[in-house]
Amino acid sequence: MIELIRRLLRTPQGALGLSIVALVLVLILVGPLAAPHDPDTMAPLVRYKGPSPAYWLGTDQYGRDILSRLLYGARATVVMAFLATALGSIVGAVVGTLSAFLGGRADEAIMRTVDAVMSIPSLLFALLIANLLGKSSVDAVMAIGIAFAPGMARITRSVALTVRKQDYVHAAIARGEGGAYIVLREMLPNVVAPIIVEATLRIAFAVMLFATLSFLGLGAQPPASEWGLMVAEARRFMHLSPWMILWPSLAIALVAIGFNLLGDGLRDALNPRT
Amino acid sequence: MPPVLEISNYTLDYASPRGDARALDAIDLAIGRGEALGLVGESGSGKTSLAWAIMRYLPGNAREPGGSIKLSGEELTTKTPAEIAALRGRRIGMVFQDPGTSLNPTLPLGEQLAEVLVRHRALTRRQAWAEGEAMFARVGLKQPAQMMRRYPHEASGGEKQRVVIATAFACNPECILFDEPTTALDVITARQILDLFAELQAETSVASLYISHDLALVAQVAHRVAVIHRGRIVEQRTAAGIFTNPRNDYTKRLIAAVPDPGRRLSGAAPIPSGVPLVEARAVSVHYGRTSRLATFFGRARERVVGNRAVSLSVDPGEILGIVGESGSGKSTLAKALTGLNPFTGEIRFDGRRIGGIADMDKAYRRNVQIVFQHPDASLNPRQRIAEILSRPLALYGGQDGPRDMAVARLLEQVHLPADYARRYPHELSGGEKQRVAIARAFASKPRLVICDEITSALDVSVQASVVELLLDLQRRHGTAYLFITHDINLVRQIAHRIAVMYRGDLVELLDIEQLEAGPRHRYTRALIEAVPRPVGGTTNITIGRHSPGPIPGGFDK
Repeated sequence: MIELIRRLLRTPQGALGLSIVALVLVLILVGPLAAPHDPDTMAPLVRYKGPSPAYWLGTDQYGRDILSRLLYGARATVVMAFLATALGSIVGAVVGTLSAFLGGRADEAIMRTVDAVMSIPSLLFALLIANLLGKSSVDAVMAIGIAFAPGMARITRSVALTVRKQDYVHAAIARGEGGAYIVLREMLPNVVAPIIVEATLRIAFAVMLFATLSFLGLGAQPPASEWGLMVAEARRFMHLSPWMILWPSLAIALVAIGFNLLGDGLRDALNPRT
Repeated sequence: MPPVLEISNYTLDYASPRGDARALDAIDLAIGRGEALGLVGESGSGKTSLAWAIMRYLPGNAREPGGSIKLSGEELTTKTPAEIAALRGRRIGMVFQDPGTSLNPTLPLGEQLAEVLVRHRALTRRQAWAEGEAMFARVGLKQPAQMMRRYPHEASGGEKQRVVIATAFACNPECILFDEPTTALDVITARQILDLFAELQAETSVASLYISHDLALVAQVAHRVAVIHRGRIVEQRTAAGIFTNPRNDYTKRLIAAVPDPGRRLSGAAPIPSGVPLVEARAVSVHYGRTSRLATFFGRARERVVGNRAVSLSVDPGEILGIVGESGSGKSTLAKALTGLNPFTGEIRFDGRRIGGIADMDKAYRRNVQIVFQHPDASLNPRQRIAEILSRPLALYGGQDGPRDMAVARLLEQVHLPADYARRYPHELSGGEKQRVAIARAFASKPRLVICDEITSALDVSVQASVVELLLDLQRRHGTAYLFITHDINLVRQIAHRIAVMYRGDLVELLDIEQLEAGPRHRYTRALIEAVPRPVGGTTNITIGRHSPGPIPGGFDK
């Protein structure tokens, strides 16, 4: 683990990505404590203010402090994106590994189904699922998770196919092990590295997808301080105060870039040949 | 006359985050015109590093603290990349281990040879093509004109290696490096390549550095042999002297470890009890499946044959060796017996009929275990040794006392310390990993263990200790072995009976006494004649008709 972090810090994108993600993690943990104001307290006298010593990033249409709302919202946005990615990765990894293990006709059936699902754009697919499930953060997590699973399944299968040909899998079959043991204990641990890399890249997508769903009114609901929702609400008041839309957009971009760089760095760090 | 290649006091380090690792230490070598020097060493001894150092093709983290490499008196270590590029291929050639990867699969064979001629001898393409055909004929390729237009996948391994050799000899270089040129080839093909090497060597009087791990083989093709161990040349002698009168301890160990078919290691064959332990009756394996759509359109392909009606039996406590070249179906048979390949025909175990994979119940799987060739691949890199070894115990039961005690006993059985249980496979050496794989196979107290080329990925000295361990386990447990290998010398040392396979067929099944008396089948005879035998043992060297220079034609110790 220490060795991995050292390798990660040796590349510029890894070092930058790791520090941004670490910063975001700190915000998630201590953000609400550090917030100067209550995120939901309205102050009619200080609406649409720009940055000032009292309100560092300004205020929104109800006079709520934007900085405090961003700090509180980090939990909702990033944690939800993380959960959605984890859900999608786990489901996709198991399906992909199982498909590679079974091979033959079962593999064909699973992968063609995955292909069919993948042909639907992930935003449309997430919209469809969110519409079917309902309008809440948990439903949005489910929607994004399910939308991510097919892509993960494809990537995992391609790695698992080479693992499938390894003799330790043959040895397990010759020993008479059950399919569940072979997939979960023999094969899955050996396909984890590329999945982790792909998952970090996808967290960035998930943050944006989650913000998009909230923006469209299908994710978090007002008065939650979720970042996508903040952008959506600020859009109407853009001409009154451009800061309102700028800050949450920047926050989303920063998290997305941070995870993207971390993913790039991890891909190099986990590859022993570099 | 100065030597063609002269290396003096050459040292090479590889820089790593944990400090510099010394790959070559004060190497002194000289090869004269028309001389073949054999360089023998185990994996990691630095022999390939030396070849790359001579070719001036070193990785970015290589450091050269000192020494010189001279080609006909010219210093190579100080040359610029452009000068080296002009030199490579023209004055120094190289032949690689695997012709399958050293040829470009997207270019015709002739193209790859002609390119060298155009570049280094400034011929026109037409001249180069004609010259290429002549070169192909010279290296013994039949139909050179057609071969020029073929792609690598349309030629056999031996033919491809001939093309690589033709390319190396194309510009009449002063020096050619051969890096294990026959290791990836079958024994009979390897023999032919060796003959070709000797012939060209004598004809062109090129200085050759022949790198190999196989001492017996090197002693046959080289005039002098240098033994390299951990980056140092420990001994340099004439090929004849190295076997009969080795001075260095390491060389002595290396020679002692070379399998000598004249020295039996296993005991007498068990007295047949009447009922064989395992009996394969007309077992056939076919690869590939035909899709229903293809069948519907009448385009069902001919399926690839892995085994064609193989029948053989193993008695309790017997060691049955299976030999044959790659693609002969040895491993296919092993996989059919362990339920990894679907098969037709039937297997009888202890008189019980097994007609397919579905019939292989827990009792059968427990009694028939398999050990694979590469321990790196057969041990899961993400599991600790304890987990790897306790899995068969959990599946088949049969251990008394706590699980970690049983694991410690298994490790002790293969002469490994008990605290290895906490380690991961990558923390063990190749030989130790193979011992763990053997311990796993023996965990269920099986009656038959299938050993699928288990020693061929190991160094000679490690190989000898693994074979010793196997025989020791066999004496203790009375286990029967199906010992699959391409090393005929080794199988003659340990097997009670030998089955010879060729292209999916079982061509001959004979007792070891019959084999020593002279096999009947033509293929078996060819196989045995193709293998170089260790010199100075109880058997004599058999020198081919093109054997190079000063080796006396057979001698006794």
